[in-house]
This record gives sequence, C-alpha cells and structure tokens, in this order.
Amino acid sequence: MLLRVDVAAAEPLADQIAAQVRGGVMRGDLTPGERLPSARELAEVLDVNLHTVLRAYARLRDESLIELRRGRGAVVRGDADATRLRLAELAREFVREARRQGLEEAEMLAMVREAQP
Amino acid sequence: MRRLLTAAAMAWLPAAITAVTWAAWSAELPGQLATHWNGTGSANGYSATTTFGATLLVIGILAGCTALAAAVTAARADRGAPPSDSTSVTAASDQSAARRAYYSRFVLAAAGSVGGAAAGIWVATATATLANPADARLGAGFLYFLMGLAWGVAVWAVAGRAAYPLPELSPAGEPLDLSPTERAAYTTTLRSPLITAVLGTGAAVVVVVALTLDAGFWLVALVPLAAAIVFGRIRLTVDRRGLRLVAGLIGVTVKHIPLAEIVSAGAQEINPVEWGGWGYRVVPGRSALVLRAGPGLVLYLTDGRRFAVTLDRPQTPAALITALQTRIHN
Repeated sequence: MLLRVDVAAAEPLADQIAAQVRGGVMRGDLTPGERLPSARELAEVLDVNLHTVLRAYARLRDESLIELRRGRGAVVRGDADATRLRLAELAREFVREARRQGLEEAEMLAMVREAQP
Repeated sequence: MRRLLTAAAMAWLPAAITAVTWAAWSAELPGQLATHWNGTGSANGYSATTTFGATLLVIGILAGCTALAAAVTAARADRGAPPSDSTSVTAASDQSAARRAYYSRFVLAAAGSVGGAAAGIWVATATATLANPADARLGAGFLYFLMGLAWGVAVWAVAGRAAYPLPELSPAGEPLDLSPTERAAYTTTLRSPLITAVLGTGAAVVVVVALTLDAGFWLVALVPLAAAIVFGRIRLTVDRRGLRLVAGLIGVTVKHIPLAEIVSAGAQEINPVEWGGWGYRVVPGRSALVLRAGPGLVLYLTDGRRFAVTLDRPQTPAALITALQTRIHN
C-alpha cells in the first residue's frame, strides 16, 4: 500500500500515518492477517521519528485494528472490519467538528442520543 | 545455418563415442559392469553390460535426434527473427520467432549435455571395470561424466547466440501527485504459494531420499529450504532511497536499486517465458523476480538494464517512483 504524510500539514504526523493505515484497510489494500512494516522500517522509509510511528501503531492497536507483538511487528487483525472502521472515522470527524464549535462531551453525547429515531 | 548443423553434428558425437568404444571393448568387457558407487568411489551396484550400454546409447541417439530437430527449428526461426542487435519494439510474430530461435538453441545445447553425460557415464563405467574387473573403482572416471556435461557448452558456443527475446517496452506512467512537503513510500508483501509449495515438495522428496538411500542427501535438502526461506515472503519497499526487496522471514536485503539508478518505471504484463522463468531470474540485459505471470513493475536502469518484479497493481509504485524521480531532477 501507498503511505504518504505531509510534514507541512497541521495534522500531527502520527495521526496521518494512522489515517493512512485505516484508509488502507477500508479500501482493501490491507487485508486481515497482513503484516505491516515494523515501526523502525516505516520510520525509515517515511523519514520520520520512530516514536511517531510507534504512537500511530499504538493508536491503531487501541482501535482494535492491528495487533502488536514483540518481534513479529504489526499485523492487521483478523476481525478488522471496514464498515465499523468507517463508523469510527465518522465519529472522530463528529468529535473534531463538535470541539471546534466548543461543545462539551456531555453535549456531544446528548446530540448523538437525540440523533436516534 | 552451417553453424547450427555443425552443432547438431557435435551433439551426435557422444552417441558415436559410446558405439565405437563399446565395439572396441566388447571382447574384454565382462557380462556385468559395476554401475553404482558409494561416496568413496568403490562399487556397490552392478548391471548387465548389454542393458547398461544400450540404455546409454539410446539416450545418446535420442539426444542427437533432439539436437537435430532443435537445429532445424532454430534455423527456421532465424529467418523470421529481428536482427540480433535490435532493441526496439518489434512485431509479435518477430517476437515469437526470436523466442523460438533462442530456446531451440538452448534445447540444442541441453541435448549436447545430456548426450555427452550419457557417453561420459558409459566411458567412466567401462574404463573402471576394464582397469580392474575384480574391484572396480570410479576414481577419476567421474571426470568423464563432467566432460560429457560440459560438451553442451561447446555445442552452445558453436550454435551461436540468438538475441534474447525482448518483451515490449512500456511507457512511463503518470507520476503520483506529490506536494513538495509530502513524504511517500510504498510497501507490500510478496508471497508465492506456488514457489513455496514446489520448494517444500522438493525438500520433502530429498528428505525421503536421504532416509531411504543415502544419508549424505540431508545436506541437499538445505538448498530448497534456504530458497523457500528467501522467497517465501518478500517485502518490497519503494521510498526516497529507491526500491528494496527484503526476504521477510530473515530480514536480509536481496535487492536494492537506488533511485538515482532508475531512469523510469512502468507497469507491464510479465510473461515468465520472456524473463527467463520463475524465481529470481537473470538473463542478458535484465533481471527479474517472477513469482507468477501477470502484472509487474518494470524499472529501466541507467546502465541500460531492466529489472522487473511481479506484484498486484504495479501502477501505484510506478507512479510513486516517477514522482520521486521528478523530485530529484527538479
């Protein structure tokens, strides 16, 4: 898969990398069970700091998208689900926009509840 | 034409040697020949002289016939093939003629080798028994066999070279749209279930042979195993430094082409026949990692050579390389 990050963009590099991997799973470029380059390798090819990549991978692990195993690197989880991923992406977008408009967490949750029919 | 016929005649020589020496030695040869040797060169198997000699003679004659047929095919194909210094894109019919001209010469040389090896086995076996009928020793007789195998090289040299069939050139694709502050890399894992299965089967066969016949074969099993480890999973990376192939299981770089050595990159259908077969191939003017037939990434290098690797959707890495190239040059 193609990975690209923009060092001049406002979005942190780790977020960009995580977004690229998410995009890869959503598009089907990355299939469950597929091995991602090790954090060290990816840091080298993209010419970014190792900790940036580790941060991105840790986030993807917290999202249950990849599995991190010592010595085996990062592997796309078998249950990585493109549709659920899309939903999580929408939620992130919603939170970002709500924050920008100055909404508190309780207000956001209330909006989600109201959105239910 | 004349060279091809000379080469075909040369491929008949081993059969002639077998026939002549057999006739000359027939009075002295016993009814049984020592035909199987252990690791130290003393005999541990015997065959009837007539069966053994006849088998080798028939192999020699078949090799001669094959060589003759290959020479005729090569001569015919030469008339239809483009000139050997041609590097341009040629018509498909010329391509197939060039391919026939190349491969029939290969068959011709291989027939020379097989015939030569058969004659070598005959001479080695017969001389070993003649030297000491009671306790035959292979000794340096093994060299006759190697000389026989090498005969194919002589046949090849006489047959002359045909231009290796060139696959079509592909135009460089559109570069990836990359802003100056962007960093991009392409990474993918190449797998070849087919090659892994073939190598695994090969290793299994060798192990069975080692268990049943000769324990020395254990070491031979390491060859397909090592190949399976290298080719089982390969990580391909394209970044600002160029293209890199890393054997995934052991993490060893098997190929690295710096970006500065790449002139252009394109996507192309890879036909294993045009690139010398499956696996890591090196043929005149180009090399390739061919894991299957189908789409592949082709790199045109500054030294005039080409490198290809088969992978899905090669347009993406090709576009990335083209974009990174432009970045260097601007």
